[in-house]
Amino acid sequence: MSLDLAFIFRVLIFPGFAFIFSLTMFCDWVERKIEARMQNRMGPTYTGPAGILQPFADFVKLLAKEDIVPSDTKSVVFKFAPVLSFSIFVFALFFLPIDGANVVLNSGFEGDLIFVLALVSVANFFLFLSGWSSTNPYSAIGATRVLTQFLGYDIPLFIFALTSAFLANDLSISTISASQPVPFALLVPWAFVLFIITLQAELEKDPFDVPHAETEIVAGYETEYSGRRLAFLKLAKDVQIVLGAVIVVELFLSGPYGPVFLGLPAFWYTLWFILKVLFVVMITEYLTCVFARLRIDQVLVINWRMLIPLSILSLVATVAVAFWLNPMVG
Amino acid sequence: MAKKIKLSPMLKEVLCQIFRKPATRKYPEVKPKVPDDFRGRQIFDIDLCIGCGLCARDCPAEAIEMVDVEEKKKPLFHLDLCIFCYQCAESCPRNAIKTSKFFELASTNKYDLVIKPQTKSKKEMRRKNDSGTGRSGIGCFGFFGSLP
Amino acid sequence: MTNVEQNVLTALSGELGEKILKIETPQPEKIFIRVKAGVHRDALRILLSKDESTGISAITGVDLGETIELMYHIRTCGTVVTIRTEVPKGEARIKSITDLIPGANFHEREVADLFGVTFEGHPNPKRLILSDDWPKNLFPLRKDADVTNIETKAEKVTPPGRDKQSSDIGTLINVIVGPQHPALIEPEKFSLKVDGEVVKEVDLRIGYVHRGIEKAAEKRTYLQDIYLVERICGICNAAHAAGFCQTVEAIMGTKVPPRAEYLRTIILELNRIHSHMLLLGHAGLEAGYETFFQYMWRDREPVMDIMELLTGNRVIPSFITIGGVRRDTKEERIAEIKAKLATLKKKMSFYKQLLKKDPTLKMRTENVGILSRLDALKLCVVGPVARGSDVKMDVRKDEPYAAYGEIPFKMITYSEGDSWARLMVRLDEVSESIGIINFALDNLPTGPYRVRVSRIVPTGEAISSVEAPRGELFYYVKSNGTAYPERVKVRTPTFSNIPSFAKIAKGGNLADVPISFVSLDPCFACNDR
Repeated sequence: MSLDLAFIFRVLIFPGFAFIFSLTMFCDWVERKIEARMQNRMGPTYTGPAGILQPFADFVKLLAKEDIVPSDTKSVVFKFAPVLSFSIFVFALFFLPIDGANVVLNSGFEGDLIFVLALVSVANFFLFLSGWSSTNPYSAIGATRVLTQFLGYDIPLFIFALTSAFLANDLSISTISASQPVPFALLVPWAFVLFIITLQAELEKDPFDVPHAETEIVAGYETEYSGRRLAFLKLAKDVQIVLGAVIVVELFLSGPYGPVFLGLPAFWYTLWFILKVLFVVMITEYLTCVFARLRIDQVLVINWRMLIPLSILSLVATVAVAFWLNPMVG
Repeated sequence: MAKKIKLSPMLKEVLCQIFRKPATRKYPEVKPKVPDDFRGRQIFDIDLCIGCGLCARDCPAEAIEMVDVEEKKKPLFHLDLCIFCYQCAESCPRNAIKTSKFFELASTNKYDLVIKPQTKSKKEMRRKNDSGTGRSGIGCFGFFGSLP
Repeated sequence: MTNVEQNVLTALSGELGEKILKIETPQPEKIFIRVKAGVHRDALRILLSKDESTGISAITGVDLGETIELMYHIRTCGTVVTIRTEVPKGEARIKSITDLIPGANFHEREVADLFGVTFEGHPNPKRLILSDDWPKNLFPLRKDADVTNIETKAEKVTPPGRDKQSSDIGTLINVIVGPQHPALIEPEKFSLKVDGEVVKEVDLRIGYVHRGIEKAAEKRTYLQDIYLVERICGICNAAHAAGFCQTVEAIMGTKVPPRAEYLRTIILELNRIHSHMLLLGHAGLEAGYETFFQYMWRDREPVMDIMELLTGNRVIPSFITIGGVRRDTKEERIAEIKAKLATLKKKMSFYKQLLKKDPTLKMRTENVGILSRLDALKLCVVGPVARGSDVKMDVRKDEPYAAYGEIPFKMITYSEGDSWARLMVRLDEVSESIGIINFALDNLPTGPYRVRVSRIVPTGEAISSVEAPRGELFYYVKSNGTAYPERVKVRTPTFSNIPSFAKIAKGGNLADVPISFVSLDPCFACNDR
C-alpha cells in the first residue's frame, strides 16, 4: 500500500484527529469561561493565557491517576466502553465537512445523515453500557436515565434533522450543507429552535441534566470510573457536545461555507466552521445556565407530549415551505 | 403543560452578567480590607501584664499557657489552638492584649503559631523583622526559644 | 403569671387534683409541674384536649444522683408548660408518649441513649445519637459515667455485609444516601428503599457528628460555655449564644440594658439573613440550578461584611455574652450598613420574581414534599417548615425576647406546604429581617451595652427559647451555685424537623428527595451536638 501522505495528514492532523481533539478542548474552555462569566465569576485563569490550557491539563491529570476497576464488574464492557464511545463520536465527525470537504475526501455517500445520527445513538448506547456494567446502584440509575432519555429524544432528533433533508432534497450531509445559500435556520426557524432544544436533551445538559445529577446519584454512570478511563469518558462527553454543535452547523447554518476573501477557501471555510460551532456552543451553554434541572418524568413528558407532536407538525410545515421555496434551493 | 410559560427574569440577568466584572477578588494580589477592630492575631504588651493568669483561666480553648519569664508568670499564646474569641482581652484587667488586623497566619512552621512573652530588646528585633507574612522573625526566635 | 398560664393551671389541677405533687414557677410565665411517673400521660391528654396544636418542645433528662428526672417541655395554649417526673436509676422505665404525640419519637430515643431510660411502648427503640459500637450500658450524661479510654470499651459490631447493604428486597433497590454523599454537606445516613423511581420506605440514622457538647458544657465555666455552644453550629451560632445567655440571665435575674437588646436583635437578624440566603443557594444547587446558587452566595457576601464591621469576624460573631454584648457599635458605621442592606433588598425582589416565575424551578419545587398542616402539628416541626404548612408559630411573636417586643414585623406563613412554600417563607423572611435591622438601627437606644455579672451563678434553673433561622431553639440550664453548670440541655430546631423527612419522602420520587430534604434546612451539626 503506497503511503498517501495527504491522506494521513488529513486523517491524523487536520481536519482529522488532532484538529478535532484541539477543537474539543477549545470548545470546553469556551464553555467553562462563558458559564463562569454568566455566573459572575472568573473561570479558568491560570493555566496558559486566560486559562486556555485548563481542559487539556485536566485530561492529562486524569491520565496520570490510578485506574481502579471494581472486582464485581463485567470487565470487558467496563474497560472498553468509554474508549469505544469516544472513538465512535470522533468517527461520526469524519463524515461532516469541516474545511469544505470531509476528513477523508469523497467519503460522503447518499444517506450518510441517517448513518451519522445512528452512530450518535450507538455511541450514546456505549455510554449507557459503561454505567450498566459497573455494578453500583448509582451507576445503574444513571445508566437507565441515560437510556430512557436518549432513546426518547432520538425520535424528534431524527425528524428535525430530516427537515433539512427535505429542504435540500438530499440525504447526504455534504450536499445539505452545500445547498444553503440562505441558512436553513432562517428558512425554518421553528425547526432550528426545536432542534437546539432536542440537542440539549441529547447532550444531557440543563434542563435535561438528569443523568448527571450529582446531588442525587453521585456521578451517575461515571461513578465507578477513575484514571484513564474517566479521562476518556469525559472526553467522550466533550466530543459529543462538539459533534452536536457540528451537526447543527451542517444542517441549519450552511456548514463551513461562507464568504471567502482573497482566495484560500480551505482557511476561510475552517474559520467560519469554528466560529459557527462556537456560536452553537454558546447558545447551548446559555440554556444550561438559565434553567434548573428537571426530573426524569418531566423530561419524558416534554419529549413524548410536546416535542414529538411538534416535530411532526414542523415536518408538515417544512414540506409546505420546501414546495413553496423550490426555486430558492439549489 | 398547556399553561402559559412565564419568562424567567434569569434569562435577561444572565446575559447582562456576561458584560460585568466578575465578583471574584483576585486574592492574594488584592488583599481584602478589614475593619479596625477585626479579631486577628493578638498583640501582647508585656509591660502592662501583671501575671494574674485570668486570660489563661478564661480561655475556652485552653490556648494560653502561663510560663516563666524572668521569675514572673506571663502568658504564652498557642495560636494553633486559639479560636480568636478575645475573651482573654476582656478578662485582662490591664488591657494588655489588643486586636490587630493581621489574619494571614497560615505557615509551614508550627513555631510561627506561638506568641511568646518576650522582654523589650527581643521585641524591638521582632518588630523590625515582622514583614506581615507568617514567616516573620518571630519564627526563628520562636524556634530557637522553644527548643527543650 | 398571666391569664393563659392561669387557665392551663386551672385545667390541670382541676382534672389531676392530688396527682400533682408540686407547682413551681422559677421564671415568670413558665410553670413547672411535678407529677408521679405515669401521670405525665394524663396531663398530656388533658392539654391535648384543650389545644389541638399542643406539641412537645423538648424532653430533658437530669441526673439527680439516685433518680433521673425527666422533664417534658410542652408548647400549648400559647405558653410552655413543663411536666417533670422522676424515675429511679436502677429501674429507669417510663411509658412512652409517642402514641399521643408522634413527634416525641426522637426526643425519647435520645434520652434513652444518653441516660438509659427505657420508654415502654416506643415503636422504634434503636440507637439514635450514639454510635453503634458505643458500649451498651454506659450512659454518658449520667454523672457517674466513666468515659475515659472509651476506645477500649467499644462493642464489636459487624458492619452490614455487602448483601445486606445494597441488596434488593423483592423489587426494591436500597439506595443509601450518606454518610458521604454529594448532596449532603454533613454526614447522616438515609436508607431509601426505592421501587423504580418511587421511594417506598425511609430509614434515618443520625448521630454521626455527635460531639458530646452537653457533657462538655458541664466541665467548663459559664463564660467558656458561651463560646462552646456558639460552635454547635456554624450558621446559627448567634442564636445559640443568645439562647444560652438568656437562660443564664433568667437564673441570675439580670436585666440586660436596652441598647444591648437592640444590638443582640441586629446580630440575630443578620444571622438569619445569611443563613436563609445560604439555604436558598443550596436549594438551587440541589435543583441543578447552579447560576442561582452562585448569584445568591455572591449577594450573601455583603451580609458577612456587615457582620465583620459590627463584630470583628465574618462567621462566628462571639458578640453576645452574659449581661449584654461585648462591643459597642460606632455611629459612623451605621450609614454603611444601611447602604449595603438597601442593595440587598433590591436583589431580594429579583429572587422573589425568579422563584415565582422561573418555569423549571417551579416544576421542581411545586407540589414536591408536601407536609400537611395536621402532620406538621403532630410531628411538632418548628420554624419555616411549620410556617410553610400554615402553622402560625414564631418564638419572636409568641414569647418575645431581646427587642422583638418593640419592633413591628410580620410573621410569614404560606399554606401550600410544599418545598416551594418553604423556600418562599425563607425568602420573605429575609426581606422582613432587613426591615427589622433598619428599624433597630434607627431606634438604637443610648446607654450602656453591658452589665457586669458575677462568675458564680446562684442555684436555680431556667428555660428559654430563641427563634434560630431554622426554628425554635430551646435551652434549659440548671445551676448548682458554682461556676460550672449542672446541666445544659440544647434542643435544636433540626432535631424536631428531621423526622418529618420520612413523612415527606415516602411515596415521592427519588429525584425529589434532595429538594424536599434541603427545603427542611437540615443542619446536622446542630442536630447531633
